[in-house]
Amino acid sequence: MHNYRDSLQQFRELDAQVLGISVDAGPSLKVFAEQNGVNFPLLSDFQRVASAQYGVLNQERGFANRATFVIDREGKIKHIEVGRTAIEVAGALNACRK
Amino acid sequence: MARRALAAGVLCLLTAGCTFAQNPQVPADQTSTLKVGDMAPDFELPDHNGNMIKLSDFRGKQSVVLAFFVLAFTGG
Repeated sequence: MHNYRDSLQQFRELDAQVLGISVDAGPSLKVFAEQNGVNFPLLSDFQRVASAQYGVLNQERGFANRATFVIDREGKIKHIEVGRTAIEVAGALNACRK
Repeated sequence: MARRALAAGVLCLLTAGCTFAQNPQVPADQTSTLKVGDMAPDFELPDHNGNMIKLSDFRGKQSVVLAFFVLAFTGG
């Protein structure tokens, strides 16, 4: 999330809203956001419904795998990145530029 | 001989690492339920300040970068 925090201005210039999403509970996310200066919403998918819908829920461990989705203004998915590279913002930024 | 055993060991580790990192059945630009071009499933969830955020509220206004992460394993 630090990468997104540090690159938020670039996403704003591309008129893209960054949303973090995690299966962690709201209070944990609040503490994390405050301690790390997170400047965009962190959503709590505590019921794991969205994680399952997006196909990123790790059933065995009960948490969502690292993944990034870029959704265009029409609500259509234009970019998906799953795994370690999803930590980086480069792929998402490029997708926002297209 | 030792070198060959070492190479085999490294290969095993690499294979195990890749298998752990990602399901080889699903390409890196897809998930088990979604692919590029699909409509993003809508949801409404609370953010860390308790505000309800509905994905479809951004439709027609802004694109959205949805970043799934795990707090406990967040290093970056």
